[in-house]
Amino acid sequence: MSKLKDNLKSKGAVISAKTGTKESIIDFLKKAMDKGVFDAVLIPMRVPAGDSFAYVLIKDKSLLKDSFPLPPVMSVQGAKAVSSLTRLGKGNMKIATVMRPCETRATIELTKLGQTNLENITLISMDCPGVLPISDFLDDPNKGMKLFNDAAKKWDDEIMRPVCQICDKSSMVAGDIHIGTLGAKKDTFFIISNSQKGNDALEKLDIKLKENIDSWQAKIKDISEEKQKKRKKAHNDLKSEIGGLDNLLDTFSRCINCHNCMKVCPICYCRLCYFDSDKVKHPSEDYLQRAESKGSIRFLPDTLLFQTGRMMHMSHSCVSCGACEDACPVSIPVAQIFSMIADETQGLFDYVSGRDIEEPLPLVAYKEEELHEMEDAND
Amino acid sequence: MERKIGVYICECGPNIAEKVDIDKVIDAVSSIDGVAVAEKFKLLCSSDGKKFLTDQIKKQGLTHLVISACSPKDHEKTFMEVCENAGINPYLFQLANIREQCAWVTEDKAEATKKAIRLTKAAIKRVRYHTSLEKKEIEGIPDVLVIGGGIAGIEASLQLVSSDRKIYLVEKTSSLGGLITNFEKIYPGMGSGSSIIKQKIQDVNKKENIKVFLNSEVEEVIGFFGNFEVKIKKITEEGEIAEFNVGAVVLATGSTLFDPKKTPQYGYGKFDDVLTSLEFEKMNLSGEISLKTGKPPKSAAIVHCVGRNEKGYCSEICCMYSLKFVRYLKDKLPNIKVSNFYSDLCIPGKSHQKFYEQTKGNNVNFVRSSEIEITKKGEKLDINYKDETGGKNNIPVDMVILAPAIEPTSDAPKLAEITSISQGNGGFFAEEHEKINPVSTSTEGVYIVGSDQGPKDIPATMIQAEAATGKILSSLIPGRKIEPEVKTSQISESLCIGCKLCLSVCSYGAITFDETKKISVVNEVICRGCGNCVAACPSGAASIKHFNFNQLYQEIMEAVQ
Repeated sequence: MSKLKDNLKSKGAVISAKTGTKESIIDFLKKAMDKGVFDAVLIPMRVPAGDSFAYVLIKDKSLLKDSFPLPPVMSVQGAKAVSSLTRLGKGNMKIATVMRPCETRATIELTKLGQTNLENITLISMDCPGVLPISDFLDDPNKGMKLFNDAAKKWDDEIMRPVCQICDKSSMVAGDIHIGTLGAKKDTFFIISNSQKGNDALEKLDIKLKENIDSWQAKIKDISEEKQKKRKKAHNDLKSEIGGLDNLLDTFSRCINCHNCMKVCPICYCRLCYFDSDKVKHPSEDYLQRAESKGSIRFLPDTLLFQTGRMMHMSHSCVSCGACEDACPVSIPVAQIFSMIADETQGLFDYVSGRDIEEPLPLVAYKEEELHEMEDAND
Repeated sequence: MERKIGVYICECGPNIAEKVDIDKVIDAVSSIDGVAVAEKFKLLCSSDGKKFLTDQIKKQGLTHLVISACSPKDHEKTFMEVCENAGINPYLFQLANIREQCAWVTEDKAEATKKAIRLTKAAIKRVRYHTSLEKKEIEGIPDVLVIGGGIAGIEASLQLVSSDRKIYLVEKTSSLGGLITNFEKIYPGMGSGSSIIKQKIQDVNKKENIKVFLNSEVEEVIGFFGNFEVKIKKITEEGEIAEFNVGAVVLATGSTLFDPKKTPQYGYGKFDDVLTSLEFEKMNLSGEISLKTGKPPKSAAIVHCVGRNEKGYCSEICCMYSLKFVRYLKDKLPNIKVSNFYSDLCIPGKSHQKFYEQTKGNNVNFVRSSEIEITKKGEKLDINYKDETGGKNNIPVDMVILAPAIEPTSDAPKLAEITSISQGNGGFFAEEHEKINPVSTSTEGVYIVGSDQGPKDIPATMIQAEAATGKILSSLIPGRKIEPEVKTSQISESLCIGCKLCLSVCSYGAITFDETKKISVVNEVICRGCGNCVAACPSGAASIKHFNFNQLYQEIMEAVQ
């Protein structure tokens, strides 16, 4: 994805949405398929039972009308869908993916980790109002749908997941094309390009990027500043709650070791998680020895080690998407904890996960001068 | 198989015996399951000690050996050889360091004894999980690729060449010799630089086994110590390619000058008669020192340390060649007035001080100065500067010679990548260790000599060329096999997810990516077993022989329980 210079990104297109935003976005995708800009679209769709949403690769454009660009829940993290589609090769079709910014950013992280091939993929993202906790939605899907639509219209995040309420990157443009609904005049939305690939696609659709997008930029700046404050406060509160080994052990003590958080995490891309492997299974005398030295040992063992180990393995790439928290059957605030750790880990390296495909992963970027703050901590 | 582990504690003279109650250690470990014998000895690394160990291994029928003694850096190899000679695999041995990590750092004898027991127990636990590793041998190619045809590369080639060793000398320009061909004289003896190099070039041309490639660049170096595949390309339109194999590579690509246009206060490129040191060498070699107008200068300034602040290092040789320039000027124009502007004079060594003293006086002065700015004042160049007291001063001169910092050539990054070595301070090629391995690099078999490794004068360059050739001559002997590292990394095909993190952290180019299987593959001959890939691999697909997860886990758990 070759990046555009900032001055090229300061303009966008204004698209009419008289028939409704969702319908107009679908219309835009349909046109792109008509003109052969994309051969297929990967986009969420409501499942036939109506109680959830799934990513669907649509080849028959007449089916686009049933798609749902901005579903009320995140049942599958989109990055996982893109990776499963392209990990073994780019394929011979041009595909557009329609995802939330956090899903797009996770896709970019996975690309840096060799788990997707974006050569034939155009990443489309849009302003995200957040999603509902999946359990809330499942309680009454129709009511959930209505609540979500009302809240999204007012950009009111009170009913959204806690991690969405503190998301300061809900309009981050990281993919190729971004759809901006904030700050747009009634019955319109903005289209912004973030790459040469985005430019080329829009050019073929006769969409000229000439309009001023100041109102969108001003609006998302306000929102992100406000959310940043909220995020900082939430993380500080959380820190006093879980800081220190004892508090951390308490927080994770109700973990049932299901490893769902790892299974739904887009960044946990390992074929076999280290903590599911034989490497952490030991002969009984080892456990007896541990029990002897501490008086007792909890089973299943290594519950906290799994959480901290996972933190160490993926917090530099965590996009705070919240999939882990949705998946936790015992309501541990996993995503909030991980988002706090992620901010700190990434902050150490001036890194923002998924911000820029050309930004190297902190683990593989060698800098002679770094981590002095860690040295100071040890002095 | 039944394990019979022998545990031996070394007193290391008084070093360990005085600080650790060795009998207590023996008591604590003798009854451990699998320990056949636990004994102490005065000095296990002595010839008596080695004989004692050999006899014990044979007499007791030991299968594994644990020694509690000094650092593995001191005697791991010694004891591994004992194992080998006594008939057990040297990797079925573990050394616990109860000297540096215990006796020498723990004041309290009771505490030190406790710690020695833990360390010994941990070693006993670990050795149970050891497996035999077998040595590998590969055919070594004695031939050598030398990159750069300056004095360093020429010297290395001449030292290395023999009837059974071919040298491939690759030079990017159209002739051999390098920078030194421009030097009428070389300090401090003021002998002729160009005649020294002419003689050496003639020697090179006489050697049948030195194959010289002019106007050529190295495109690819793939492989490992003993067998590198090399591709070189002619810098011509056709760009013919030559391919050959060598056992070692010597980088002797030299250096270039910092571009003084980056420091506009010196007026280089803006005013006539402001020259770089190399331009002045060339002018001097032509036989006549003159201004742009054709007239001889009546006064000249030599400005030291140009670009020193920008580069962040002292270039070592500029003060000395600046003194030589004074001699050039005085030889050709005896009445000329020469002012040297310096910030610190760097004239170390046994003869340089004398050279300096013989150069100053007689209309030659040295001005300690800072904040130099060169302006044009009428026909003259005006050197404005701040003197030692902080006062502003100026001296008008006819000619200015700048002594810019020495920096690596522009192709250094490309060559570093091709040969899988790193660049250190200032972009110079990085040595493996600045003190104890100054010409080796992170890639075994790739050596760096001369000013591509850092600014240096001709004697220092010659020393490095001879050092590197010594290393090669002693390790790449025609007909002798070479032994690659045994404790290498391996990547599990079923666990690797193909994220390539290991590729980006491997310093030796030992990992390749299998595009069909989408997994990483280790070349065990190139791998040096540093463990970077193991640390980077999130799923534990990469592991290292003799330091695998279970061995470390068992050792640590035993030590900390």
